[in-house]
Amino acid sequence: MIKIEHMKKEYSNATPLKDVSAVINDGDVISIIGPSGTGKSTLMRCISQLEKPTAGKVFIDDVEITDPKNNIDQIRLKMGMVFQSFNLFGHLTVIENIMMAPVDLLKQPKQEAYNNAMRLLRMVGLAGKADNYPDELSGGQKQRIAIARTLAMDPDIIFLDEPTSALDPTMVGEVQSVIRDLAETGKTMMIVTHEMAFARSICNRVFYMDEGGIYEDGTPDQIFEHPLKDKTRQFVQRLKVLELKAGTKEYDFRSVVSEIEQYCRRNQVDIRLTYYIQLAYEELVQQLLISRLNTQVDVIIEYSTVEKRAVVTAKWNGPKFDIDSISDEPSFIMINGISDNISYEHKESDEQANQIVIEMSQK
Amino acid sequence: MRHTKIRYCFALIAVIMTAMAFTQAVWAKADVTSTDELSEATFAVQTGTTCGTDAETHFPNAQIDYYNTLTDILTVMRTGKADATVCDIGVLRFLQIDNKDIVTVGDIIEEIKLAPAFPKTAKGQALCDEYSEFVRQLWDDGTMKELDDAWFGDDESKRQVIDYENLPDTNGTLTMAVDASIVPFAYVKDNRIVGYDVDVVARFCKAKGYRLEISNMSFDSILAAVQTGKCDFASCAITVTEERAESMLFGEPVFTSGNIVAVIDHSINPDGTPNTGENQSDEDTSIWGSIRSSFEKTFIRDDRWKMFVMGVVNTLIITLLSALLGTLLGYLVFMMCRKGNRAANGITRIVMFLVQGMPMVVLLMVLYYIVFGQLKISGLAVAVIGFTLTFGSSVYSLLGVGVGAVDKGQYEAAYMLGYSDRRIFYKIILPQALPHIVPSFKGEVISLIKATSIVGYIAVQDLTKIGDLIRSRTYEAFFPLIAVTVIYFLLEGILRFGIGRIELNVDSKRRKTRKLLKGVKTDD
Repeated sequence: MIKIEHMKKEYSNATPLKDVSAVINDGDVISIIGPSGTGKSTLMRCISQLEKPTAGKVFIDDVEITDPKNNIDQIRLKMGMVFQSFNLFGHLTVIENIMMAPVDLLKQPKQEAYNNAMRLLRMVGLAGKADNYPDELSGGQKQRIAIARTLAMDPDIIFLDEPTSALDPTMVGEVQSVIRDLAETGKTMMIVTHEMAFARSICNRVFYMDEGGIYEDGTPDQIFEHPLKDKTRQFVQRLKVLELKAGTKEYDFRSVVSEIEQYCRRNQVDIRLTYYIQLAYEELVQQLLISRLNTQVDVIIEYSTVEKRAVVTAKWNGPKFDIDSISDEPSFIMINGISDNISYEHKESDEQANQIVIEMSQK
Repeated sequence: MRHTKIRYCFALIAVIMTAMAFTQAVWAKADVTSTDELSEATFAVQTGTTCGTDAETHFPNAQIDYYNTLTDILTVMRTGKADATVCDIGVLRFLQIDNKDIVTVGDIIEEIKLAPAFPKTAKGQALCDEYSEFVRQLWDDGTMKELDDAWFGDDESKRQVIDYENLPDTNGTLTMAVDASIVPFAYVKDNRIVGYDVDVVARFCKAKGYRLEISNMSFDSILAAVQTGKCDFASCAITVTEERAESMLFGEPVFTSGNIVAVIDHSINPDGTPNTGENQSDEDTSIWGSIRSSFEKTFIRDDRWKMFVMGVVNTLIITLLSALLGTLLGYLVFMMCRKGNRAANGITRIVMFLVQGMPMVVLLMVLYYIVFGQLKISGLAVAVIGFTLTFGSSVYSLLGVGVGAVDKGQYEAAYMLGYSDRRIFYKIILPQALPHIVPSFKGEVISLIKATSIVGYIAVQDLTKIGDLIRSRTYEAFFPLIAVTVIYFLLEGILRFGIGRIELNVDSKRRKTRKLLKGVKTDD
């Protein structure tokens, strides 16, 4: 069991981890996902002590490994890590790469280490490459060897730091299938990856990382299907978000329209949907709301690259809005024609109590 | 079109060269009868002597070039690069025995006294007094006149020094510094240092019960050696000047002399026969014959090959010991600085700045005369220390570059397997860094053997110094130099081969032994 208490990691120019606490149970297979620069790799490197956390404690089976009194070299015998850049030892052959640590550190007899190494090589399908040097192998082969090298030490915990990110797309499959087998052995695993489908299929738990910590922690179904928090949802649906403010003093309708157009082009939104989004903004915000309300309206445009759907949300402060008062307006009828659904909600508790949501899709 | 241009170019060059040859020939044939004719000539004089000053005062409009040995001066005069020299009359008289073509012009410029020099210390003063007393006796009883006849006469057999190497040390040992290339005051003959000055000193030591040790170094170094007390005294045609007397004590002069202007008479050959412009000598004058005669003079006569052997041994001792100790030093310092220890890194940076920034000659002189000035330590040891420092700093830098070239991921992978920092360095980092390092290391060793050629400055008789000594005896400019060069090439070749073997061993893919798989029954 790994227990992390208030871990913080600070660099001179960034703080990827602000305050992280978590408990990882034996046998957990955890996928760590999130946008880049949110400390996914840093989290694993701080747990394994490749990097010293600025503050906080890490316990493995109730031994505090952040305590300098405990010999980290001994503790690492129970850990393994697979790196994005493989990091095979260039001066040794494949078989030596795998055998060296068990012979040196676990004092295995050479013959036993050799047999074990060959068994692992067969497992990853590379028994024929035993006498080759790493620079004679393809990326996918190197990564499979690196996995075999990690397994040769029979660790309890395996960290995989973006194991397929540096690979040619054609080689991702072979490495993923080895990792898939690995996930079924019952070892504790943490894997940082950008392959969402893969992450989802092998793990029993997902850490979505953002805002300097584990932003949302849940089962794959929860995280990928019903995320509780906004940023998680935006990330797993690969939502592209544009936030606008209308009705302020500096508000300039034409520049906002061109901003929407740029946003759509940037995210490769279909031409017709781009037109719909612009139309929805113009008719709803410009024609119906601004002229009537005389207040600031916050507009959020979200586009899901996975589902090819766009959602325009307008929020403003003030008393309950009578949606029926505008339902006969030509603008409203026009919006109704292009959208899949229009909804109005009033929540007294929220700062911006009124919210109109227009959902549109690429038809 | 292009061809004609090139042809014009060639024609132009040919015309210029012919003109140059013609003017030179005209000048060379002119007979110089008075020093007035030399007012705008080029003078070649020996470094560290008073000749340069005399030439400058008497010929203010002349160009003055400085050379290290008389051999060089003779050569440049014969080839026409210099027109005249200013030289000590005593030296010149001896020179004329073998080189009849050098003739004096005019009278002695200024009379000078040659005397031994002592350090300005109480001990130096006492020795100076004792020595001066002894020399005055020799002047009084006519011994000095006999010495003059013996060393400057034509009879080679009279030029003998008593067996000074085995004098008893009843009253202690005296170390004398000489530049054994100043014939006939101090020079090498039959592999021992002899000469007029040496003769006087040997008589003194025998009479007063001193054992004598002679330290041979270049003339510039002698004055420094006296000033720093590195030797007890020096005696080899040292001119007494007021300036020098400020920093050292002069004993009773042993020779009265003076600088005189000399030129080459191109109408006669060095052996005294008339120069007809042809190769007139009845000796074997073919190229092959002259090489044979040069070889005989350089290696065979007086068993001079023994000196070469000594030179090679000294050069190799310095090179190999410095390379070995320097590698060790560089490695140890690197290991201390590797983990970023502030004190170790700071000290290393300062020492590297000093050692790498200083010209090697200066570093050696500083070590010899200042740092180890008060210690009785041989020049050879100082040379090894100096070159160990420079080689060590090179090895330190090489290790830094080589280790830096190994990817950071290699450390991380090894850490995650559970290796300790120390073991990672030896098992994973160093084996991958060495192939980057060894080729440059080979270059450093070759540079080192060449760099050692300056140790003559601190009284070490290395290969180059031996070459200079033999040149000063044979008055041959090139053959000893080329011989020395060839020997350097051979030594370099051997070193290259040796390190090449190491290079093969550090190449992981060509290594023969696979320790890990030794004794393992493999699948295939």
